[in-house]
Amino acid sequence: MTSPIIIPSLEAILGADKLTELDYAATGCHVRAEAVPEQMPAVAAAMLEQKFYLASLTALDLVESLELVYHFASFYQLCRLVVHAPLAKGAAAPTISHVYPGADWFEREVFEMFGITFAGHPNLKNLILPEDADFHPLLKDFVASS
Amino acid sequence: MEKKTGEPLIHLAVLEEVLNLCRANSLWPMTFGLACCAIEMMAAGAARFDLDRFGAGVFRPSARQSDLMIVAGTISKKMAPAVERLYDQMPAPKWVIAMGNCAISGGPFMYEGQYAIVPGADLIIPVDVYVPGCPPRPEGLIEGILQLEEKITNRPRLRKFR
Amino acid sequence: MMLEKGIEEKTFYLNLGPQHPATHGVLRVVLEMDGEFIANSEPIIGYGHRAHEKMAELRTYQQYLPNMGRVDYLHALAYNQCYCMAVEKLTGIQVPERAEFIRVITSELNRISSHLLWFGAYLLDLGAFTPFLYCFDDREHILDLLDRITGSRLTYCFYRFGGVPVDVDEEFIAGTRAFISRLRSRWNDYDTLVTKNVIFINRTRDVGIMTPEQALKYGVTGPNLRGSGIPYDIRKSEPFSVYPLFDFEIPLGERGDVLDRYVVRLQEMEQSLRIIEQALDKLPEGPIMAEKVPKRLKPPEGEVYTAVETARGEFGIYLVSKGDVKPYRLKLRVPCFSNLSVMPELFQDVMVADAVAILGSLDLVIPDIDR
Repeated sequence: MTSPIIIPSLEAILGADKLTELDYAATGCHVRAEAVPEQMPAVAAAMLEQKFYLASLTALDLVESLELVYHFASFYQLCRLVVHAPLAKGAAAPTISHVYPGADWFEREVFEMFGITFAGHPNLKNLILPEDADFHPLLKDFVASS
Repeated sequence: MEKKTGEPLIHLAVLEEVLNLCRANSLWPMTFGLACCAIEMMAAGAARFDLDRFGAGVFRPSARQSDLMIVAGTISKKMAPAVERLYDQMPAPKWVIAMGNCAISGGPFMYEGQYAIVPGADLIIPVDVYVPGCPPRPEGLIEGILQLEEKITNRPRLRKFR
Repeated sequence: MMLEKGIEEKTFYLNLGPQHPATHGVLRVVLEMDGEFIANSEPIIGYGHRAHEKMAELRTYQQYLPNMGRVDYLHALAYNQCYCMAVEKLTGIQVPERAEFIRVITSELNRISSHLLWFGAYLLDLGAFTPFLYCFDDREHILDLLDRITGSRLTYCFYRFGGVPVDVDEEFIAGTRAFISRLRSRWNDYDTLVTKNVIFINRTRDVGIMTPEQALKYGVTGPNLRGSGIPYDIRKSEPFSVYPLFDFEIPLGERGDVLDRYVVRLQEMEQSLRIIEQALDKLPEGPIMAEKVPKRLKPPEGEVYTAVETARGEFGIYLVSKGDVKPYRLKLRVPCFSNLSVMPELFQDVMVADAVAILGSLDLVIPDIDR
């Protein structure tokens, strides 16, 4: 298989050593990229230019730190990209909702479930949990009260 | 919290029995789907199962027009105040069927660490009939409604066949 | 046409839901009204939140299987399939071909039942009651077939890691063939009742147009996307299971309005029938379960993303394993979440009656959004 066409534009932003081609049959993705959250708006803009859509945005609680995980895919060709963006606990990540309006809700969900704030988000409040909920259930140290 | 009840404000001795017979045979359920069970509730009202045979097929979109609330699905903590308010809006006498395991006890979603649901409709409103199943089949719901009729009138509808 | 903004005019707020016949469950939409036109709208979700994702971290892989029937209960088997595929990819379990065929047949039957339910419920929203009875009648036949082999009518938990637990028998095959010809004879009824009905056309033509750009930016998938003319169907563009063996088309709309989305779904049912027919013809003999699937499943460390095409669009599972008996993290990428997030754009400057038509045409399952 030839290299996915997104690689050149991503290399320009992230550097060649941050990109790995994955075994699609085993992982379901073609390319894995490592980024810092500050690069994400640029990555998102590059992906939108290639007509990729944001399939999912979520986070991982790695106990000592957090990690944002973005999945991009395309309507026009078979190519899936996963971007991992490690983040220290308590740090804020820049929003990509101005690039992908669909990321608005994803970011609000990550905000309530993991307590990650997105700088520049227009409407960062609870989406699924009740408005007054102040807990972050998908953190590993979360314990349900009552 | 004040204890809720579905009893009417005024009771009219003998007339009440006649009224109850009428009430039991024309229950007006509220269209009240919360999750999966709502689909089986729809199926119960549709072509094959035809809830109308028992006079309970007139699903009302407004709480003010209905006297039966079928809690069909999981009650989340966010939804609970709305369920309570809808119950309060129904005119008495009124009845509640908890349809499905979620509405009975939280069902498959009740586990250690659960933070999002109310485990059982009877924690917030009084429940008359429980219909177990995940989801109950439409026959189950129909049986629940027949049980409720029996509760209202104190006599079974299908005496001969039991 | 918009009202001119004068000094005296004020907007007001209108609540659609959380309990309203036309909102499909427990969706609440706050509408800011300018007269009869919607100036702004905000969907408020979470009334059906059941913490599926947290539950995954507290359950073993097998224990989590029943949950997959209850996220999007209308097309439960596709969710079953996606979860099984994710775990099979992680552990390297090979599924026998006959099992894949059975998965495709049952999943496509389930897709038709989901579209039929949408068809009935949507026309109910628009004020037509009769089609509801017609399609529930047809739907019951599918449920009988699926009930026969899966044991349930709605929240199926049928697939296992490595195959399926129950084989199809002659009666199921004969019943499915009979159902195919029955449903084909119904298309004419549906078309004359609804599709060619001038009232229906007037309510749906050029209403709620979604452009391909909007779909791209919001990540809309499924029939909603194909109604806008983009031929993206994961069964074709990212073939999984044995879908490449079958010959079927992707129905497309042109304008991206409500009517196009309706037509796409109706034509998709016919394509599903074609898939089922071919699968029944080609159904191979052989085992239905992989050999040596460990009882205590412990996938190696790693992560995987799998996607399937459900009746509503792309459903993806992002599964992270740390070599434990429980998933470390399981993210459900649900189609309705993205499909609903585009709604405020479609609601801009339309009348409330049209809003109901648009909302229904997106085919939302609320507990799927809330998870």
